Amino acid sequence: MSLLEKSADSTATWVDDRLGSSNFVRRSLNKVFPDHWSFMLGEIALYSFIILLLSGTYLAFFYDPSMREVIYNGSYIPLKGVAMSQAYATTLEISFDVRGGLIMRQIHHWAALLFMASIVVHLARVFFTGAFRKPRELNWVIGSLLLILGIAEGFAGYSLPDDLLSGTGARIAYSIAMSVPVVGTWSAFLLFGGEYPGTTIIPRLYALHIFVVPLAILGLITFHMMMIWYQKHTQFAGPGRTENNVIGSRLYPVYAAKAGGFFFLVFAVTAALGGLAQINPIWLYGPYDPSQVSAGSQPDWYVGFLDGSTRLMPNWEFRGLGHTVAFNVIVPTVVLPGILFTLLIAYPWLEARFSGDHAYHNLLDRPRNHPVRTAIGTMSLSFYVVLMIAGGNDIIAHVFKVSVNQTTYVLRAACFIVPPLVYVITKRWCLGLQRADEELVHHGIESGTIRRLPSGEFIEETVPLAVPHRIMLTGVESDAPALAGPTAHGAEGQPKGPGYGDAHEVGAGGGGKRERVRGFFMEKRSDSTTAAARPEATLPERELEKTVD
Amino acid sequence: MSTPMDPQGGRTGGAPTPGAQSTGGQTPTNEPIGGQSSFDAAGSVRDRLRSPGPQSSGGDTRGSAINEGDFEQSDSRADLHEGGRDERQLSASRTPEAAEIQEPRTEDIDPAAAKAAERLVSALFVMSFLGVVGFIVTYIFAPFQYGVEDGNQAYTPLLGIFMMMALGGVGAGAVVWAKRLMPDEEAVQERHPFGSDPDERSATGQALKEGLGQTQLPRRSLLRNTVLLGAGSLALLPVPLLFSFGPFQHKERVLRETSWRQGVRLIRQNGTPVNRDDMQLGGIESVFPDVPRGTKAADSAVLLIRMRPEELRSEQAEGWSVDGYIAYSAICTHLGCPVKLYEQQTHHLLCPCHQSTFAADRGCEVLFGPAARPLPQLAISVDDEGYFVAQGDFDQPVGPSYWERNPTSSYGRDV
Amino acid sequence: MRTSSGRLSRLIPYVVVLLGLTLVGGLYTAFLAPQSSATEAPDAGAQSMAVKAGRDLYLQGCSTCHGLNLEGGAGGPALQGVGASAVVFQVESGRMPLANAGPQADRKKPQYSVAEVDQLAAYIQANGGGPQLPSLDNAELTDGDLQEGGELFRTNCSSCHNFAGAGGALTYGKYAPRLEPASARVIYSAMQHGPEQMPRFSDGQLSEEEKKAVTYYVRYITRAAQPGGSDLGKFGPVPEGLVIWLVGIGALVIATLWIGNRA
Repeated sequence: MSLLEKSADSTATWVDDRLGSSNFVRRSLNKVFPDHWSFMLGEIALYSFIILLLSGTYLAFFYDPSMREVIYNGSYIPLKGVAMSQAYATTLEISFDVRGGLIMRQIHHWAALLFMASIVVHLARVFFTGAFRKPRELNWVIGSLLLILGIAEGFAGYSLPDDLLSGTGARIAYSIAMSVPVVGTWSAFLLFGGEYPGTTIIPRLYALHIFVVPLAILGLITFHMMMIWYQKHTQFAGPGRTENNVIGSRLYPVYAAKAGGFFFLVFAVTAALGGLAQINPIWLYGPYDPSQVSAGSQPDWYVGFLDGSTRLMPNWEFRGLGHTVAFNVIVPTVVLPGILFTLLIAYPWLEARFSGDHAYHNLLDRPRNHPVRTAIGTMSLSFYVVLMIAGGNDIIAHVFKVSVNQTTYVLRAACFIVPPLVYVITKRWCLGLQRADEELVHHGIESGTIRRLPSGEFIEETVPLAVPHRIMLTGVESDAPALAGPTAHGAEGQPKGPGYGDAHEVGAGGGGKRERVRGFFMEKRSDSTTAAARPEATLPERELEKTVD
Repeated sequence: MSTPMDPQGGRTGGAPTPGAQSTGGQTPTNEPIGGQSSFDAAGSVRDRLRSPGPQSSGGDTRGSAINEGDFEQSDSRADLHEGGRDERQLSASRTPEAAEIQEPRTEDIDPAAAKAAERLVSALFVMSFLGVVGFIVTYIFAPFQYGVEDGNQAYTPLLGIFMMMALGGVGAGAVVWAKRLMPDEEAVQERHPFGSDPDERSATGQALKEGLGQTQLPRRSLLRNTVLLGAGSLALLPVPLLFSFGPFQHKERVLRETSWRQGVRLIRQNGTPVNRDDMQLGGIESVFPDVPRGTKAADSAVLLIRMRPEELRSEQAEGWSVDGYIAYSAICTHLGCPVKLYEQQTHHLLCPCHQSTFAADRGCEVLFGPAARPLPQLAISVDDEGYFVAQGDFDQPVGPSYWERNPTSSYGRDV
Repeated sequence: MRTSSGRLSRLIPYVVVLLGLTLVGGLYTAFLAPQSSATEAPDAGAQSMAVKAGRDLYLQGCSTCHGLNLEGGAGGPALQGVGASAVVFQVESGRMPLANAGPQADRKKPQYSVAEVDQLAAYIQANGGGPQLPSLDNAELTDGDLQEGGELFRTNCSSCHNFAGAGGALTYGKYAPRLEPASARVIYSAMQHGPEQMPRFSDGQLSEEEKKAVTYYVRYITRAAQPGGSDLGKFGPVPEGLVIWLVGIGALVIATLWIGNRA
């Protein structure tokens, strides 16, 4: 036994003597995590949050969230002698007078952008594969809350330096709060301690940014992870993979090495960005002054969709009965995100209600096998992307030398045209992919060998699909599989329930409106055309051997 | 279901790679072992794969017989479960079973390849070490103060590169290590059903019900109601705290008024007043009220524009401009950004935040964008010395809309 | 044995990400990468000589549109009274001679040397008067009050030209240009006479010293190497968002594909 091995042994003994935790530890070490690249997208969010905590702690040692006016006397020459808030002055100090302060600031900001981006990517993965279905609805809700909290946390952080750009953002936030009917002015005055700008908003946002919101995020992440741990990760269909097991690497050592390595890779990417790509150059923006503004004032990307919806909104306002209601403000910035986030959170229950699928799911759907869900997802994403593009309409107009007005008109139209178009295209595409899969499953792979039949007809020989590949496509391990529909496996891992098999049958059953909705929702290609041409049910064993991957 | 076996034997029998690992060497295991190409589940795949009947394992790893025993004992650590303390856990979660279903990697059968992998991992770790050294040296010794001398702007990029090396080396090294040297296993673990068994559920429900009965809450309505009153009202306790956050102000007045009064001079940011001879045609000036902290007030910023008097087609009221000098609140009526993009030929005023466009030569009517109302005009005149002064405050609240803003009130100017 | 189509489809994500990165790189070089500008070394000869030379240049290159006697014509406005300042702005920045009509004249590669610009300016100045540049040498402006220049810039300029002089969109296809390629004389003259849509900042508003301070500040922020790495075009959060998606998420998705792919 080498020294290393001995110490591993003695550590286990030492800990167990005190905690009696051997059983738990061993079970944990043996926990199996499925391997798929897309399962690591959520890890990016977790790791960037850790990076945020580390870099943020460092920044907190130097930053002072005070709106007291000071005269700058640091080393950035163009601002020497300029009056500014203490918050801005200390941010400049971090950037220019603290060794390594600038890279920490930049890592912190890049990690924040990465945190939000990876949440969105992870959310998309969970959505398109149906990982939010029973029993994981709660984790979907927690994830959605994390997205919303992340936006709030990011916005608070963006405001802290009190530079010209962030001050403009804070002013817009104040104006949005003001626009809410009845309680608007009250809430805005409560938040800002009086009329804008006041002297309290930065310290308050600081308290939220470093304590309240991160704590909430940390708590939710913990819960998120515990649920994954307890429920075990979902997996894609494949050889041996059923609803009742999980196949992959054990936590220790393989998965831990991969995940730990990935943490450092995420950190390396943020470090590279932090060192090589300048972000939020507050010294160029200058200190905040309510009478100044810069062209191209934008929020960070994750608020961009709200900025975009505001830019696209027509100028509707209700004036009368002694009151003013600014629809041009509350619709794009309060009502729209309210609806979007409510739908997002409610989606698992909406889908279960309309599809009638209330079964447990541990096997994931391939997006193509659930065309309606996939189409809803891409439709929503395209709407979101159009809004986000609209948030940068002036930069787009400037860089591509087009009219900002035309850009706005086009994007307004795109808001209504693109999402339905994307929906239809996605659905068609999914059905097409299903057809291709069906060909593969039933006819095999084209071998390239052309043979002439005695009748004179030319046919191409096909090679039956490798078994693991076929299982991946069909989701079942039977020899004569139908293509999997949206996987509605029962608890015993047997395909059953509506949606498995031909959904048109479900719809055509004539069971009233509910049934028709269900049929629509679980739509998949009809299998009947190819059923007749199905090859031998059992494959020759020799062939099988050759094609096992 | 698994039988206790000698751990070492189980490991080498079922999962060759971990065995190779633990002996420390990279012995070529080009002799595939039964069960290597098997799947865990007692499902159809394995049956199908097995169907040609037991074969010798020489060379062909597929379709080889599956020895149920090998299979079960493949993970000695897992087998310890059987002796574990938590019986309930055992029944819920069966043991993880490791099974090789892949072709062996090159590293598993070729010691040279394994050695090469080890070298690659080591090289990455060494790179990491060099990155750390570079980072520390740069951090401590490199000149960093920006603008003091040329080249100092490389400080942060250098730190970034070294940090990337340090972190990326460890990260990539660990991944390569895991991928090429650690066992290439596909471990199988059973899921445990989430629901408890019916007895458990009903017992829990019963316990809850009993406890409730013991509190006597269902029977004593007075108690029930006062509990609701007492405990429920606790939720209101923190509400008054909220009001310390902001002042109890007469909001309508605060929001309606700015610092402009009759006779207050228009001054620049540096405090100098604006004379009627100062500006040329097509000129603009950001001006503020000449009152204490007037240049800092968020609601008082005004944009003074000079155009040809004949170009000024309309204003918000007669006599509010002076010879083509016209002044508008610079605070956007949409979301409050300062509107200062003035196009001197088209007389468009553009807000950079959301592209609301106003016609400065037509009383600032809205031409484009989300703003719903014109920028309020400030009535100006010229004092005896030729300096611009305000005729009074704005005739309406400046800036964004809010609920209490009364659109029909004339907001008589504070003259 | 893997099927070739399986292998291909496994490559597709890499290819997509690579294509994305290439596209961004291309866009960056096409639109955001700083362009180098010509350096200047002006020297004016005797005044009359300059006027004479300027007249020749004018008749050759400008009179078709602006008329033989600066009276203007169908193609261009009258030039009486525009002064030397406007000539420097229009010609030194390459906007004149005009290439094609659009919402506004675009900056191009200058067609006249700095000496020729001075000769043209002398001719226009001698034949109509107008605002004149102070003696301002492009190479000379190496010092000034950066603090004052910065404050004036943020008050008067940044709302159109952006916080770092990267430019911005105006209404209906017009734009405030990027300031980096502009020479000191061009920046000063733009403030002085207000070309096209730009407001005019007379000496009564911004004194000569103040204009010089703004000019120096603009030259400083557009040229000084930034301390935090690549400046991403100085457009603020929009390019930052693009970078995190295409570089950050792009690189990490490649990493997940690498880690998740079984050897």
